[in-house]
Amino acid sequence: MKLAIVVQRYGAELNGGAELHARYVAEHLNKHGHVEVLSTCASDYITWRNHFKPGLDSINGVSVRRFPVSKERNPADFGRRSEKVFQERHSFADELAWLSSEGPTSPALVKYLKEHEDDYDYHIFFSYRYYHAYHGIRALPNKAILVPTAERDPALGLSIFRPIFLGVRALMYNSFEERSIIQNISGNNHVPGVVVGVGSEIPPRSSAQRFRQNTGLKNRFAIYVGRIDQNKGCDELFRYFQQYAKTSSKLDLVLIGNPVMEIPSHPRIHHLGFLSDTEKFDAMSGAELLIMPSYYESLSMVTIEAWAMGLPVLVNGACDVLHGQVIRSSAGLYYTNYEEFSETLKLLERNRELRLTLGRNGRKYFQENYSWPVIERKYLETFDHLKDQDKACLNHTLEPAPGWFSRYRRNLAPSSEILEQLPKGPAAYSSNGHDQTLRSQK
Amino acid sequence: MSEFRVESDAVDVEKIMEQIRDRIKEKRDIDYTEEQIREMASVKLERFLDPDKVRSDLVEHYRQQSKDRQSKLAFPDKLKEPPPAPESYDFDHESIYRSGRDGIIGTVLYRIRKILSPLLKFYINFGPIIHALQVQREINERQNEAINWMVQTQAEFIDRVTKLFDLSSSRLAAREEIDALNYEVMNNLVVEMTRLSIEMRNHRMRVESVAGRLEFSERRARALEEAVQYRDDPQKQGSNKSQSSSSDGSEQKRRRRRRSRRRPPSRTDAASIENSPSTELNDDTRSTPDAAESSQTTENMEAAASPLESSTSESATKSTEGTQERKESEVSTTSEHASSDTDSSKQ
Repeated sequence: MKLAIVVQRYGAELNGGAELHARYVAEHLNKHGHVEVLSTCASDYITWRNHFKPGLDSINGVSVRRFPVSKERNPADFGRRSEKVFQERHSFADELAWLSSEGPTSPALVKYLKEHEDDYDYHIFFSYRYYHAYHGIRALPNKAILVPTAERDPALGLSIFRPIFLGVRALMYNSFEERSIIQNISGNNHVPGVVVGVGSEIPPRSSAQRFRQNTGLKNRFAIYVGRIDQNKGCDELFRYFQQYAKTSSKLDLVLIGNPVMEIPSHPRIHHLGFLSDTEKFDAMSGAELLIMPSYYESLSMVTIEAWAMGLPVLVNGACDVLHGQVIRSSAGLYYTNYEEFSETLKLLERNRELRLTLGRNGRKYFQENYSWPVIERKYLETFDHLKDQDKACLNHTLEPAPGWFSRYRRNLAPSSEILEQLPKGPAAYSSNGHDQTLRSQK
Repeated sequence: MSEFRVESDAVDVEKIMEQIRDRIKEKRDIDYTEEQIREMASVKLERFLDPDKVRSDLVEHYRQQSKDRQSKLAFPDKLKEPPPAPESYDFDHESIYRSGRDGIIGTVLYRIRKILSPLLKFYINFGPIIHALQVQREINERQNEAINWMVQTQAEFIDRVTKLFDLSSSRLAAREEIDALNYEVMNNLVVEMTRLSIEMRNHRMRVESVAGRLEFSERRARALEEAVQYRDDPQKQGSNKSQSSSSDGSEQKRRRRRRSRRRPPSRTDAASIENSPSTELNDDTRSTPDAAESSQTTENMEAAASPLESSTSESATKSTEGTQERKESEVSTTSEHASSDTDSSKQ
């Protein structure tokens, strides 16, 4: 079996969620067949500037074929177009222009996909919202499997993506919430879709003592791992934690990751910068719990890693995915305001038994759902399932794009409005395989 | 295709969250104690009363604002100078034939063009163009004159406005100083008024308390006077009658001595009741306001006065009976009196 993994950026040093996800999947599926990664030469997701050399490369035993980006992203233009399609009535052409502005615009990659369709059994496209996925899936819907990595952001409400969700052969979702929102927006319930997620590589041994020796930290601490960014809810976390630190708590907060915002100077907030995987897992093994304050997550690999380490988590309940994950796993608590943050953190800080139980549940949840053998099996079963249907899907095509005149008709509602109408809240799992919605229908 | 397996036991996250929410709700109800509510309510009053908390930088703020305004109103010098006019170009009927070059070449070119001018005129009619350009030149000149005049007028206007502005700004500065003083005076007035109103209230309460005490003292004095008058008459009658009466007199003296032993002679009864260290006052009653205390004391003394009267009259009527009986009546009187004293002191 020969698989193509099509992703916007690819590299061993890239740590973006979808990119890392793609790399892990590529490396693990490479054991079951030949995997080739098709990507762009970009390494920076803001400008998509060509960084890598075009052509063939190999990373961790996986061959990578890179194509140049023809046009860098102009952030001002992209911002203007985003404002238009997200907030105003607009046309189909406006959405296409938005997609082109977002990038990474690489016609060479799309051309290659068209020309070498028969070289691969299936193409696994990562991240629905980028140029490569839209045009790539339009070019070869017959063999397209989509890993949407969708969050609850306005791009999901754009009409150009509806035929994509309906037209691919299968979707590999990260969470029940993601599946629920995509099914609600596109009505693609009949398209095969599996909630898979991504596994994690946990080192067999990690040492909390080594971490404490290296950093000099003596107190008990909660940990946050990831980009320290306002968009990740870190400003709220800092505010809440500083308030919480005024109480009788003795817990410190350790931050791991690159900052893109100012970190408040507080004796109990320790920023350690970007750490290697070994150091990160050492830190996790010494932590009491992981705090994940993000509002928008399609999966949160860090949370999965924390569970793999037997660490309980405290997540932002406003994020549907994290909220749902915590309920399904029974491996953490959530908060929606400071009072809940304070009470839940206090409970986790003081109740060792609860912490251990949640950690055990987390580990079990990880082993049953996110360990690599499980993930690999789900992918392989999906390929087998699609192979059975291949003959029937020979003439499988996508809904055609609108004609020239209707393309310029401004009849599309702002995508943020469409998104607002979708149900919110965590999606609960039921034994019959369908997700029951706990959500409040607006 | 396989699906997600969700198996969890022992911990129900939703249940824990429910409990946490309940606890938060309870805390919300409990947390706002009377003390906190008072604290919150007193914030406004404190700010009002404490002059340190009143914003003292208001004047600075106003001054700063006026400075900003001043800087905004300053005119740039450019407005007083006319903009440089484009170079005027004298245009006539010959201009189109002239060459940009000087000397012989220019003259030769001019001649050639002049010779060929009928041919040019055959293709293009230069007349209207030349006329339009001439008109335009005149317009430009007039415009330049107009602009110069406008700029001059503007410069004069700016001078005048600047003078006016200087005048008004100096007035404004003076006004600001007065405002600052007004602010200080007003602030002090408010503080003093608040302080005075509180003092006045305290004084009013004290006056009420004193009035209550006075009234009580008057009543007590009246009661005592009546008692004394009543007792004097039977003494006078009894001195003429028998020996028993002399013994009765000695009893009276003894009774007075006992009473005087119970009360310090330098103080009035009411004062002794309130201030005597031997009285049984508990902390709660001590902390009651003066006015309330005095009114309650008055009521109790009224009640205390009546048993005193009854006991003395009783003893007087029974004076003719045996010594034993007199002794008994005396004991009962003193005990009643003592009890009435104690009751009143308790208040």
